[in-house]
Amino acid sequence: MARVKRGVHAAKKRRTTLERASGYTGQRSRLFSRAKEQVTHSMVYAFNDRKDKKGQFRRLWITRINAAARANNMTYNRFMQGLKVAGIDVDRRVLADMAINDPAAFTALVEVARKNVVLS
Amino acid sequence: MRTASPKASEITRAWHIIDAKDVVLGRLATHAAALLRGKHKPTFAPHMDTGDFVIVINAGEIALTGSKNADKMAFRHSGYPGGLTATTYADMMATHPTRAVEKAIRGMLPKNSLGRSQITKLKVYAGAEHPHAAQNPTPYSINQVSQIS
Repeated sequence: MARVKRGVHAAKKRRTTLERASGYTGQRSRLFSRAKEQVTHSMVYAFNDRKDKKGQFRRLWITRINAAARANNMTYNRFMQGLKVAGIDVDRRVLADMAINDPAAFTALVEVARKNVVLS
Repeated sequence: MRTASPKASEITRAWHIIDAKDVVLGRLATHAAALLRGKHKPTFAPHMDTGDFVIVINAGEIALTGSKNADKMAFRHSGYPGGLTATTYADMMATHPTRAVEKAIRGMLPKNSLGRSQITKLKVYAGAEHPHAAQNPTPYSINQVSQIS
């Protein structure tokens, strides 16, 4: 059986880690042990933030919808309630896009929501 | 569909003028801070300054509720040990009539480089005069958005 030497794979592992750490500051992009720590952390952050990104975009859409709704003299809260009661199933991503690119359609939706708002 | 992100060249900045006479300080500041940040625009983006310019006139005649004029303190620190200076709002309004409004609005902006650049779009004047007539500021009235239709 062919003999397997360890150096090739050890060097490859270190090279991969250092490549992933390229662009990091100071020792973190140069020394393997420092780079390894940072790459491990970075991957955790990247994984978590890919999940977090969904929520951050939703927050941005809500801010934008609120701005557009307030321009039509309605708050985000009442606007979404009115849409729900009216049975209009448009998600926040599309609403935020309408607020920027099709203000007339957005205003029409606000008017529909206004008619359907239930005040407790 | 991608969420739109405005380009710096696409941002248009309007000028608003707010009369602070007898307006409660915090109520003025929330509206001014939102305008400076651009949160009233559907194109708002958290990573860039999409806000408008805000002129506040009659800042010396702002209203404070309760006994805050005499009791509320404004704090500064020189950085040296024992360098804390505490001033009541009444004293501060007498010496620096625009400072209460500036301080309240600055406190409502992000504490980062973006916030520091946004505060430069705020122009506060103690009296009714301002040198920004050429910018054609539109009067901004502080209204609550109706919760009922």
